[in-house]
Amino acid sequence: MSTNKASNGTQETTWVAPKKTLWDRMKPYTGFYLMFLPVFIFVLIVYYWPMLGVRYAFYSYKLRDIHWVGLANFAKLFSEKEFWMAFQNTLILSIVKLLLNTFVAVLISIFLNEMVNLFCKKFVQTVIYLPHFMSWAVVAAIFTLFLSTSSTGFVNETLKSWGWIEQSIDFLHTKALWRPIFYMIDLWKETGWGTVIFFATLSGIDPGLYEAAEIDGATRLQKIWYVTVPALSNTVIIVLILNLAKVLNIFEPVFVLYNTRVLEVSDVISTYIYRKTFLTAIPDYGYTTAVGLFKSLVGMVLMLASDYASKRIRGRGIM
Amino acid sequence: MKKKLFTLAAAAGLLLTACGTDTSAGTPASSGGSSAGGTTTETGEYQLNTLNIIVDGTLTATVDAGQAEFVKQWEEAVSARIGHPIKLNITQLDHSDYSGTVSRTLTTGKPGDAGYPDALIMSASMLRQYQTTGLLWNLANAYDNAEFQKRVTLPQVNLNLRTADGAQYGFAPTYGNGCVTYIKKGWLDAVGKTVDDIKTFDDYYAVLKAFKENDPDGDGANKTYGVIAAGFAKLDEAPYINYMPEFWQGAYPSFYPGKDGKWVDGFTEQATIDALARLNKAYKDGIIDPDTEEAGTKQAREKFFSNDQSTSEGVFTYWAGTWLRTLTDNMQKNEVKNKDGELESLVQLPPIKEIKDTVGGYINREAPVWVITDDGDGNDAREQAIFDALFDTMLDGDVVQTLWTYGAKGVHWSTDAEEFTLNAGTDKEDKKSYAAGEFHLRPNPNDPNSLWKKNHLDSVLVIAPLTNGFVDNDPLIQEGNEFFTKNCVDAYPAASSPTFSEREADLSEAKKGLMNKAVVGEITPEDAVKQYIDQFGSVSETILSELNAN
Repeated sequence: MSTNKASNGTQETTWVAPKKTLWDRMKPYTGFYLMFLPVFIFVLIVYYWPMLGVRYAFYSYKLRDIHWVGLANFAKLFSEKEFWMAFQNTLILSIVKLLLNTFVAVLISIFLNEMVNLFCKKFVQTVIYLPHFMSWAVVAAIFTLFLSTSSTGFVNETLKSWGWIEQSIDFLHTKALWRPIFYMIDLWKETGWGTVIFFATLSGIDPGLYEAAEIDGATRLQKIWYVTVPALSNTVIIVLILNLAKVLNIFEPVFVLYNTRVLEVSDVISTYIYRKTFLTAIPDYGYTTAVGLFKSLVGMVLMLASDYASKRIRGRGIM
Repeated sequence: MKKKLFTLAAAAGLLLTACGTDTSAGTPASSGGSSAGGTTTETGEYQLNTLNIIVDGTLTATVDAGQAEFVKQWEEAVSARIGHPIKLNITQLDHSDYSGTVSRTLTTGKPGDAGYPDALIMSASMLRQYQTTGLLWNLANAYDNAEFQKRVTLPQVNLNLRTADGAQYGFAPTYGNGCVTYIKKGWLDAVGKTVDDIKTFDDYYAVLKAFKENDPDGDGANKTYGVIAAGFAKLDEAPYINYMPEFWQGAYPSFYPGKDGKWVDGFTEQATIDALARLNKAYKDGIIDPDTEEAGTKQAREKFFSNDQSTSEGVFTYWAGTWLRTLTDNMQKNEVKNKDGELESLVQLPPIKEIKDTVGGYINREAPVWVITDDGDGNDAREQAIFDALFDTMLDGDVVQTLWTYGAKGVHWSTDAEEFTLNAGTDKEDKKSYAAGEFHLRPNPNDPNSLWKKNHLDSVLVIAPLTNGFVDNDPLIQEGNEFFTKNCVDAYPAASSPTFSEREADLSEAKKGLMNKAVVGEITPEDAVKQYIDQFGSVSETILSELNAN
């Protein structure tokens, strides 16, 4: 209960409910909270408990010799040329891959949307979706064999038999070629799947818009440009923003396709951590944890930036 | 936003709190004289009830190939020997990531934990890295007093493992073995050569070139190669050069003790530049299969004995003895035939002049070893019990050694009268008939059309032979082993120093990249060595100073 002075000078008494405690607010939903409890415990154990291991970023951790080293691991990390090389490669490979995949997926979605023959449309969709379901190990094996410089390499042997080249081209071992080949393989594998979300958006466009454009005398290309593309733009931005937060996580496609001759253009943070952790006889887990923690911090910054961008563009965040 | 910042701050607080938590895992754990696998009896004696071991792919009696029966028979035999029941738990790791998985297991566990090994297999390089960590038990006394000592015929193999102060952390039941160069006989015939024509590197090179250019498989196309290997050199595993010895000759691309006993970095030497130049020329001439650069051993050998010989190779350097039989069997299984339509066979190339009797030749690598983990309690009872149950019985000359050598009775081998047919109903049908009491190997549980070959120990390489007369008389394996023994030289000891352990992966990765670039002609061999010195010169010097200080 509180007392306010009314505009005419008289005292007015109004009733204000006392603030409910947390328990009072939860009590009506006890059943729901009980149902949620196992999930909450599971999340704590599976997701948060392992995170306590990040403390080892401040330790030297070799076999069972563990001792506090403060920020020494980070000092070492920032002075390592290979780390910065991997960091730069991570950003380049991930961002170019993201932009390329999104652009090509949008393009294919629009083409598919324009396709009138339903059988043809479904067939093309199925064909381009399939590579997504192959593991990266299989994809790498196929392309390594396909692009090999040995006499088993289909591409080189075909080009030679056509007289286009005399010497085999070492696609996967040449620095200048590795990234383009990587983007190409990634496009082949992932673009089809990437079209799903755009295709869903296209299906939701009001047909009335196309009819109106047609009545206004719009050509097919004009309808794409003035109706389809604007309708897709919001989805494109959302996809870009959501994926931006994950750009540092690239590992598997690089791991199965890189080699020591192209390390300078292919090594990414995750492969760098992998080598330092799993290919060293007695690794320092403290150092590799520090690399991982740094990667997570940069990832968090990207996530916050994405959240901010999402709020500005969509009016709501992603977190 | 405030809520989010609060959440972040709370998370950071949680992490920092965690930073201050107990790090007791950092100190070697003590099991107080007994681990989960043992108990102390009323008389105060330690009794080992469970034995946990970690093995690699060299235990060929895998889960799919009769391991359960092997374990059952081992438990029966060893329980009878040591006077109380004992249970054997085998963890068999993936061969390709063995050292990595062992490292993680030894890092995260301690004696007594489920999954922590009482004993495990290590390569010579791993042993050198781990023997200074305090995780392994010094078994010198146990080895000296072992029951099998009276039967040891090759004592030097284990004496070589001792440190300057007489400690011994590994037990080698066999000597190391190594690789020899195999050539397809049909291909030699096709180019009009015999193995006796190959005496020098030039002769060898001429044969490789003929395999590239003279259509040895007779398919009318020149898509064959002279040689394939798992890498131009295997720079992450000693003795590094054993898969292409003819090209490396006297070069050794890692740390080794020079003639005066002083350690040197072989990758900086002229011999390495010369070796890279030889490899580069062969690569340019197209006689080395380009797949060599990335091939693992499995890929290399499968391409060598592939049923499609039109893109195969004539020469392959691989493990001696049993592998001569395995490669031959696989070629025949794949129906690899010579130009006359006969099943292909292999001939072994005696070391060429340039590598004969040098540590560039057929290298007898340092033996892989078994080690026992130390629980650090200052009491050797647990460790001695493991030695007695596992190592002492492993070379008992009789039942248990037979288990480790040939596998389980009735599954992998038998002395019963029996008959069976391999490749029944095919043109390779092979009827086998054995009388009662006659030792013989049985069909491989994984491939009933071929005979089982061996289990973990190679009967020819073992330091204390079987005394029960069980000998596999496969003439091809015998021929292979005799050929290697006649032509091999001992490998350099593996380097071990703190900086080497820490930077070995970086060094081998950088050297591999530079070697590959030099071989394919991206850079010159001189530049490869120069870049290595520029990048790792100071690391190399530190390692050398540590090695030479010992």
